[in-house]
Amino acid sequence: MRAFVFTDRALERQAGRFVWLSIDTEKERNATFLEKYPIEAYPTMLVIEPEGEQAILRWVGSATVRQLEKLFDDGERAMLGRGSGADAVLAAADRLLGAGKKAEAAAAYKDAIAKAPAEWPGRDRAVDSLLGLLSAPASAKECVETARAELPRERTPHYANVAMAGLDCAAALEGPEKKPAVAEFEAAVRSAVGEPRIEMPADDRAGLYSVLVDARKEAGDEAGAKATATEWLAFLDAEAARAPSAQARAVFDSFRLAASIEAGDPSHAIPILERSEKDLPGDYNPPARLAIAYGEVGRFDEALAAADRALKLVYGPRKIRLYTTKAGILEKKGDKEAARAALQEALRYAQGLPKAQVSPRGIEALKARLAKLG
Amino acid sequence: MRLAHTVAASLAIASAGVLAGSCAGPPAAKRAEILPFIADDYARALGEAKSRKLPIFVEAWAPW
Repeated sequence: MRAFVFTDRALERQAGRFVWLSIDTEKERNATFLEKYPIEAYPTMLVIEPEGEQAILRWVGSATVRQLEKLFDDGERAMLGRGSGADAVLAAADRLLGAGKKAEAAAAYKDAIAKAPAEWPGRDRAVDSLLGLLSAPASAKECVETARAELPRERTPHYANVAMAGLDCAAALEGPEKKPAVAEFEAAVRSAVGEPRIEMPADDRAGLYSVLVDARKEAGDEAGAKATATEWLAFLDAEAARAPSAQARAVFDSFRLAASIEAGDPSHAIPILERSEKDLPGDYNPPARLAIAYGEVGRFDEALAAADRALKLVYGPRKIRLYTTKAGILEKKGDKEAARAALQEALRYAQGLPKAQVSPRGIEALKARLAKLG
Repeated sequence: MRLAHTVAASLAIASAGVLAGSCAGPPAAKRAEILPFIADDYARALGEAKSRKLPIFVEAWAPW
């Protein structure tokens, strides 16, 4: 979004409507903000009412310019207490979600959808928000049913959102209904991925390929997964070739690494990431990704050197991931002692982070991995 | 599910697992100043919002 949406000149006219704040959640100085407004996924957009310091709208995930403009309208309406009927119920649902009351928010979104006429302009966002709340495995069945009922006929970004949500939830189903539901929503995502009428940033479209690969893997179809990943990689390479700058090109790097590995050709990513590291010397991501790519092809010494270069640049919770990546490479290399030392370093670092930046579960997982190493 | 990446994923204790999906683009990326974002300063944003009687729009992101 930072590369392709917030840079869109169409948003210029919105500048006076809000005070705009960007929060790099990895920075320690933002820990107090994160304690007050917990963030579970990136990106998350919030609208905050300043007098009461309450989040009155929360949107998780990416958005197009048009979806953002709708969010701005809804955030303003919630702040001013305007609206009636389904709009008022939607604003109430947004406030509940902003306050972290997920069950109550889900009920309110359902109420808004039920009360609204079919052509209600708030419907798409209410459905998207509800599907986000139903994404936990425990509510997979309801999520699938909601996605099935609300999948629009028109091919829009909302169509892609609902199809993705449906596929994600279908994969979490258990029992005989799982397979047909996965197939149903996989077909829907497949119909969205190459659909030029759906206006979405290229990095979002790349995400659709990612879930298609996962769906094939889920179905046990390794050849299909590999073929889809190859298609994904060709899409990414073409988009990256069109990128106007090194920064814009690097937006695709993590997808290109993932697609290369899934396509069975991790070495494809190496020159891509080497170029990004050269072009963006202050960014820890290229060497962090290179460590993985080198590790995948057995070039362990180069992988470790890349991990160490990344560790010199990285900050915040991502440093834990770097240490564990390094530990994994050392394990593959057969150096158990050094792997243990890297994990111990990760644990020490994690335990020193503010509570808002590291979960107890993450720390427990590190301890479990250390114990497994022996 | 809209494209999003969980915080848990950032802390995933994988070995050399794939960093699936792009999140925010490289931190070095300087976006054109279309919207005047205040970076990493909630107190300043809060003060401005109170004085201008405007809501705050927050983009919470991660540089990976």
